[in-house]
Amino acid sequence: MTSPMLQINDLRVHYRRRRLNPFAPVQAVHAVDGVSLAVEKGRTLGLVGESGCGKTSLARAILRLTPITGGSISLDGTRIDALDGGALRQMRRRMQYIFQDPYSSLNPRARAGNIVQSPLDVLGIGDAGTRAARVAELFGAVGLRPEQQALFPHQFSGGQRQRLNIARALAPEPELIVCDEPVSALDVAIRSQILNLLTRLQAERGLTYLFISHDLGVVKHMADDVAVMYLGQIVEKASRAAFFSRPLHPYSRALLSAVPSVKGGRSVAAQRIKLAGDPPSPIKPPPGCRFAPRCPVADARCHEEMPQLRDTAPGHWVRCHRVEIENGVPTSPLS
Amino acid sequence: MAGEPLLSVEGLCVEFKGARGIARVLNGVSLSVAAGETLGIVGESGSGKSMTALAVLRLVPDPPGRISAGRVLFRGEDLLQASTPRMRDIRGNKISMIFQEPMTSLNPVFTVGAQICETLTLHLGLRGEAARRRSIELLKDVRIPAAEQRFDEYPHQLSGGMRQRVMIAMAMACEPSLLIADEPTTALDVTVQAQIFDLLREIQKARGMGLILITHDMGAIAEMADRVAVMYGGRVVEEGTTRDVLDHPQHPYTKGLIACVPDLDQEVGERHALTEIPGVVPSVWDLQQGCPFADRCDEAIAPCRTSMPADVVSNGHRVACWQRPGERA
Repeated sequence: MTSPMLQINDLRVHYRRRRLNPFAPVQAVHAVDGVSLAVEKGRTLGLVGESGCGKTSLARAILRLTPITGGSISLDGTRIDALDGGALRQMRRRMQYIFQDPYSSLNPRARAGNIVQSPLDVLGIGDAGTRAARVAELFGAVGLRPEQQALFPHQFSGGQRQRLNIARALAPEPELIVCDEPVSALDVAIRSQILNLLTRLQAERGLTYLFISHDLGVVKHMADDVAVMYLGQIVEKASRAAFFSRPLHPYSRALLSAVPSVKGGRSVAAQRIKLAGDPPSPIKPPPGCRFAPRCPVADARCHEEMPQLRDTAPGHWVRCHRVEIENGVPTSPLS
Repeated sequence: MAGEPLLSVEGLCVEFKGARGIARVLNGVSLSVAAGETLGIVGESGSGKSMTALAVLRLVPDPPGRISAGRVLFRGEDLLQASTPRMRDIRGNKISMIFQEPMTSLNPVFTVGAQICETLTLHLGLRGEAARRRSIELLKDVRIPAAEQRFDEYPHQLSGGMRQRVMIAMAMACEPSLLIADEPTTALDVTVQAQIFDLLREIQKARGMGLILITHDMGAIAEMADRVAVMYGGRVVEEGTTRDVLDHPQHPYTKGLIACVPDLDQEVGERHALTEIPGVVPSVWDLQQGCPFADRCDEAIAPCRTSMPADVVSNGHRVACWQRPGERA
């Protein structure tokens, strides 16, 4: 096994809240609270979680777009958490971001060709001729016509804008691309076009993806490995096959059962694992397991003691007291 | 689902006037929903789903929009002929609507309680303590914990799911006989979506209310709807019972829509590329004669581009496609 493309250890991102009263205690939003992950080269890690669980904070921290509170990040063996200035800028060539909203992530006053070329200009890659050639190549690669380089973002549809976003991310030939909900703003019929494009580009260019989504169907289609996040922590991580054939954490199970299925319809809806309420506040997370207040099988210990992420089967990690291991086979407390 | 339909829409057309002439946003939409029944309307953005809902309530902005043809029969009464005061009485009272964005459809400067009380005062004449008591009852009905306390809170103090519950409580204030829910869970997480669906089902069962659920999610349709209408380019291209349409889709667009969604039920084995529907929904200004889907359809034949196919109905399953003449019953 080679060293992973991306390795994160005990990463923490806390946002300090502004105090209106100078004597009030300092409060912090624990957006990312001790996350460790690794993504192998050429593979896709699917990161799943509900809104507010810290997925986007984690993604932004990895690309050093938000200050990190603690922990380490390595890209292809190089620590990037302490880099700054020119060294960080050079590192940015190797990692790029595809944003969720194809409407607000493109400058409405710039022409499409210039948008795609802008990373090359900013990072000082190539000269005018090679940049233009590279932009033309990228337009072809993402399925846009060359003459569309002269258009403005409003002249493109949502799916085409996302293609522009992808072309821009590909421009500096990155190795790691963080895709933050790349299809959730798109119509269903357009989603499959973009997902197929991302899959094809990965195969052609050996890209490594961190693929963030709240849609488990999409993650099942795209990811090689899956990590589930809840309130700033990873609660389960496993290979795609292990995760989808035997999800262990009660939250993962609830999440999977909450997705309406075309085949199952009402019969499946009736057997659904029901979660009450909303996730607790990340400012004052509960002392024990963070999922305990909503968990249908939580016991006294869950409310008092924080479970650790433990290895229940080779490569299948879960943060739950109630997962039992019998003859080497872990079983979920919820069935 | 026999018996008199609660709402029946016949040949509804809506036009918008713009710089490029007149655009037909709805082109002969026919639908019906019975009491206690859920009709799902599914389609991509721009297919006319929301416009249908707005037209039923006569909320199409006029000008530039105009309902140019058709009938909207609510318990036999044509709403398109109704007077403005009569419509005001029907909206919110007999037919209620909840919107997609629970963040923007509540007024941020009034408490949640004040906004529910307003509905009660306008339609039922309840004031003061009576309105407050009824509002708290409604909040309890939609399973909002600590309803007395929430009554005095502002929308920003509530989570997205809570806000959508408040919207449902407001819509339920006058015990409407028809509820139109326009993408009620699109902005919410799946676990919260499941809670809202449960709530809607419960309320519907308890009150025998008709429900029109507008969504782009086939899974939500499978779970909630008794019947489904698939819309494209301002027309209903296929309609039938949910199981029938999902298991045996006839129209190429419906087939594509079902096939292009990554399937969570699929075995974990090999993965293959997703089915794509090429191209995008045509702009309302570019709609040509013929079937609006013809340009994206891989089964298109010559007549598809020249004239719109008529509806073919067999066993309550309606489809508008030139490729399906054989099934004419």
